[in-house]
Amino acid sequence: MIKTIALKDLKLFFLDKKSVIITFILPILLISLFAFAFGGIASSNKSRVIDLLLVDNDNSSESKNLKKALDSIKGIKIITTSIEKANKTVKKGNYVAVLVLKNGFQKAVLNSKPIPLELKYDQSREIEVGMLQAVLMEKLMAKVSKKAISKNIEKFLDAEFANITPNMKNKILKSTSKNNGTNTNNFIDFKMTPILKEAGKKTNFGLIQAVAGTSIMMLLFSIAEIGGGLLDEKESGTLKRLLYSPLKPKEILFGKMSAAVIIAILQLLVMFLFSWLAFGLPIFKNLFSLIILILAVAFAIASFGIFLVSIAKTRKQLSGLSSMVILTMSAIGGSMIPLFAMPPIMQKIAVVSVNYWGIQGFYDIFARNLTLIELLPRIGVLFSIGLIMSFISIKLFKKNLLNLI
Amino acid sequence: MIKINNLTKSFNGFKAVNNINLSIKKGEIFGLLGPNGAGKSTLINIISTLIKSNSGTVFLNGIDLNSNPNDCKQIIGVVPQEISLYDNFSAYDNLLFFGKLYKVDSTILKTRINKLLALIGLENRKNDLIKTYSGGMKRRINIAAALLHNPDILLMDEPTVGVDPQSRNQIFGLIETLNKKGLTIVYTTHYMEEVERLCNTIAIMDKGKIITHGNLEELKNQSKTKDLLKLKFNVISNEQINNFKNNFDFEITNTNNELSLFCNIEKNLNAILNYSVKESLIIKNIQQNKTTLETIFLKLTGRKLRD
Repeated sequence: MIKTIALKDLKLFFLDKKSVIITFILPILLISLFAFAFGGIASSNKSRVIDLLLVDNDNSSESKNLKKALDSIKGIKIITTSIEKANKTVKKGNYVAVLVLKNGFQKAVLNSKPIPLELKYDQSREIEVGMLQAVLMEKLMAKVSKKAISKNIEKFLDAEFANITPNMKNKILKSTSKNNGTNTNNFIDFKMTPILKEAGKKTNFGLIQAVAGTSIMMLLFSIAEIGGGLLDEKESGTLKRLLYSPLKPKEILFGKMSAAVIIAILQLLVMFLFSWLAFGLPIFKNLFSLIILILAVAFAIASFGIFLVSIAKTRKQLSGLSSMVILTMSAIGGSMIPLFAMPPIMQKIAVVSVNYWGIQGFYDIFARNLTLIELLPRIGVLFSIGLIMSFISIKLFKKNLLNLI
Repeated sequence: MIKINNLTKSFNGFKAVNNINLSIKKGEIFGLLGPNGAGKSTLINIISTLIKSNSGTVFLNGIDLNSNPNDCKQIIGVVPQEISLYDNFSAYDNLLFFGKLYKVDSTILKTRINKLLALIGLENRKNDLIKTYSGGMKRRINIAAALLHNPDILLMDEPTVGVDPQSRNQIFGLIETLNKKGLTIVYTTHYMEEVERLCNTIAIMDKGKIITHGNLEELKNQSKTKDLLKLKFNVISNEQINNFKNNFDFEITNTNNELSLFCNIEKNLNAILNYSVKESLIIKNIQQNKTTLETIFLKLTGRKLRD
């Protein structure tokens, strides 16, 4: 019975040219638009507050001074942690990077040796890392290296000009410290290490953002439209005829949901195939995980769409409700604006949005190169969203049954 | 065939169906007549298992509706008031889909669809989309869609709303054909002419209650309404009037050489005319007002059917 209903709905969907265009053509246009737009964002160097993990392996007075100095920089918030914790949280995508002050940090500063630093970062957040690197190199590293340069000059003066007066020595040192032309890079051994596996070919994060963000947002709109068919059936009276038959109400709902899931899968497949053909998105890199994730996203979003339909009483109501909810969810979940460009509080709120879990899942595959096992928690959340929404939808549908007559 | 006992259904304290008792026999065309809001559709919705009653029982072919709704769904076919069809499907695809919902064997279903399409005269248009059909044609497909599982009882909820007179007659013809084939039909409407034409038994419903039921003659008797025959004579004397009154046992009044006779016109007309000839009374004008369901409804409720 569910199959009969689902097949009927699929047939009705494909007979409706307008729906097919909205489902497949419009998202392609938007993906193309956003792919170009986010390409521009990728080269942006705008300053903003970034949470930076700090691992102090040297644990010296100089390393503590550095931490203090880092804390004072506007735009960076320092969180001290252990290397194990840092690796884990950055890998999960919770933090953008960890700055490791290696053993021998103080010694290097005081002996004018290259300062051993390492920045381990989340490769999928290249844009944020770029900003962070710029801030660190330009504003902070200069402070550390200047101290090393001063020490170096002082040593030289002591060795070659032993008779120089302290007053003169201070003047020389002061003068050198004001010299902005000094190349500080020679004094810093700054190693950049992606914390995740080697991505191989360079990944276009703007493209991932455009494809994932737009696909999920448009999918929500399409599913709300398809689910709205249930309200059309109510208004035209065909729902009544379905209820006269031996069908159970939940079979009607599951049939509708099955059609929605199938269309959602088709829509996502078309979007990713288009992104591969037009923009070279590497969809075959981790195809199995991608398919599983598409299934999870399709289920979660189809259930969410049906949930919206279940709480609406008329088409008009659904139209207003879905626009409001989908746009809000897309805005906070990272479909419209990349998550990294949002303030930290918004990044925390994003988890309430189904868009967030879907988009981050696609980042996991294309940018973070996670395996299916590593993806499972995210897939689990998506399936849970689907199950919870389906359960609520059935309850609401039954509750509203009398109003349908 | 259909036995309804003490059936009640309330919505927010309002009794849409109020303690109804009815018995509908096999092969009847049972007319359920009442104004809008009388409770007809609620009663149909209960019998068609769409909503549950608060109290009372309904038995269809001896099967209790409350405890075996799915078995009952196989016995009844429902023609809803709305044209409940998919506009973008052809007539054939609509019927195929609705037939599948009743798990009718595919081969049997296809044969049945073709037979029904022939019966309603639309076999040549079966592959056309419903949206290209006229209102009357849609109505006929709407009826066919309720017959795919070969039900014993057909519930028709105002099936001719918005239909032109020609299509209406086609639908009446279809209903009569189906009834001749043994189908029991429950027909709700607020058009008294439809009930008078089609139904063997009529129940008049108002404010959730069945106020009377039986065949038209029984309803007339129950409501004590009579046909009115007005005879205008050239001249009629008081003596002749009294003779007239003494000769017939129904109520007769007179004004200005005109007699108003409250009787069953069909039954008494010959006798009245013969008596007038015998008494050498010259009839100048005859006017008859037969008792209709409208008059009965007016007499029983004090309101018009379409108030």
